[in-house]
Amino acid sequence: MRHWIFSCKKITRLISESMDRELPFYKRMGIRFHLMMCALCRRYEKQLLYIRSILRQSSEAEDLSCHSMPTDARKRIEEKLNDKCNDPHD
Amino acid sequence: MESTAKQEHDAVNWLDLYGDALYRFAMARVHNAFTAEDLVQETLMAAYRSYEKFSGKSTVKTWLTGILKNKIADYYRKLKPEYGDENIDSYASSLDTLFDTKEKWKIKPGDWGGDPQNVFERKELLAVIHACLADMPERIAHVYKMRELEGATTSEICERIETGKNNCWVILYRARMLLRRCLEVNWFGGINERV
Repeated sequence: MRHWIFSCKKITRLISESMDRELPFYKRMGIRFHLMMCALCRRYEKQLLYIRSILRQSSEAEDLSCHSMPTDARKRIEEKLNDKCNDPHD
Repeated sequence: MESTAKQEHDAVNWLDLYGDALYRFAMARVHNAFTAEDLVQETLMAAYRSYEKFSGKSTVKTWLTGILKNKIADYYRKLKPEYGDENIDSYASSLDTLFDTKEKWKIKPGDWGGDPQNVFERKELLAVIHACLADMPERIAHVYKMRELEGATTSEICERIETGKNNCWVILYRARMLLRRCLEVNWFGGINERV
């Protein structure tokens, strides 16, 4: 039983890790047990998941809109290329 | 235009034809407009200089993409700290101040309230998130973006930045802690003090 009990600090680490891989059973139980009693860590988990959902939504939107290079970027590259490529001494 | 025969030795022409494709390729991997721009530029320059090495066996687009891939790998290698990730640890030791000696919350997570409903507010929130990421050590921010924007798995990330899984999870943890705290201060400002 003892090794199921984790501190808040340890729980923050485990919650993060649970977003990247499936945790072993006793760690999942440890998180659940801790969250039942700790409102602050519940809040922390909610916040991490919220940030993730915002970023996921934005990257989906970005995929749809990101078809081409911005014109100013293209211009800058073109200028650089003209500088370098037309210089026979370079 | 994809013909392997007589392709002009003309970097500006390549930019016209393949610029968008290269840029998209780079953006999908580095998630930063300026970095992507630099990488495309370097790729075209390198291609121009080494044109005689282009065998014509592949298309110009494939050849350019190959060069870009190398540039991206170089870029990630440069982010790799010379002395391991200890500097990330020392940077992130500020996180320890969030907890007391018993590892309980000292600076308590605040109530962030509801999700911003209007589009304008959401956009602002995203801008703050990106500003927070820009303030983080580059390596941490990159690993985080690979994971959350690109949806890469930990194994993919570890391979790309040449480190072990455990280290990846630690870096992601640091990123989440730093970002959460940064948002709390800069977006949900002040509410953290009352619980």
